[in-house]
Amino acid sequence: MSAKIDRTLAALADPARRRVVELLGQRPRRAGELAEALRLPAPAMSRHLRTLKQSGLVEEAHPEFDARVRIYTLKAGAMAELKDWLARTEEMWSDQLAALKAHVEKKHG
Amino acid sequence: MSASVLVSLRIAAPPQAVFDAFTQDIALWWRANPMLQLTPRGDGELRFEPGEGGRLITMLAGGKEFEIGRITTWAPPHVLAFTWRQATFPPDRSTNVEVRFEPIGEGTRVSVTHSGWDAIPQDHVARHGFPLVLIQQRQGAQWRAGMAALSARLG
Repeated sequence: MSAKIDRTLAALADPARRRVVELLGQRPRRAGELAEALRLPAPAMSRHLRTLKQSGLVEEAHPEFDARVRIYTLKAGAMAELKDWLARTEEMWSDQLAALKAHVEKKHG
Repeated sequence: MSASVLVSLRIAAPPQAVFDAFTQDIALWWRANPMLQLTPRGDGELRFEPGEGGRLITMLAGGKEFEIGRITTWAPPHVLAFTWRQATFPPDRSTNVEVRFEPIGEGTRVSVTHSGWDAIPQDHVARHGFPLVLIQQRQGAQWRAGMAALSARLG
């Protein structure tokens, strides 16, 4: 497990940030839109977005027509390492349960 | 969003027998996998100290002991839960494993839920870089073949 997974997990530890990731998974959104959806004051939303940016989960863009507007999007592949870890853990338990099954059924067979 | 893993399997023995084997015989059935090592020195010999608060430890070659976790629920023959830390995890990271043993016909359905990644303290930030020793190609196809061979053997 790497520091990168750690940052991903720390960022996702907060329910508000998990909701933001879910919403951004649907489509890119403005900060104001996210604050409204989560019923959070703008400064609180800014802090969450900063954490998500630092963790590499989310990135920020400005539309060409207005540099003051910030649009947030979910970064491609951001969850890949975490997903990979989950896959390996799943594989470990599948393997171990198969081994347990073989052991028990040999004893009881 | 939930970051958890659920794996279940049916075993042809009653829940009590499966619970006992899970907790008492873990050194016999645990299969070390070089791709998924619990510690950089291998998996060692695992052992549960029975009862809530008991430890799950592994004895490594050379006599060194590593604590994987502690039992949080000990309810034979239904539920066993324990915390889980691999040696490669950051120092204050721990996850949770819950094992359920449900009677199904003459046998038992064993389900393992491994979770806790989304319950990490908010201020937790990695202070160290940890080697990602486990990043390897998945060997899914290989173990699936192994499972198929196993069920064929067990009939």
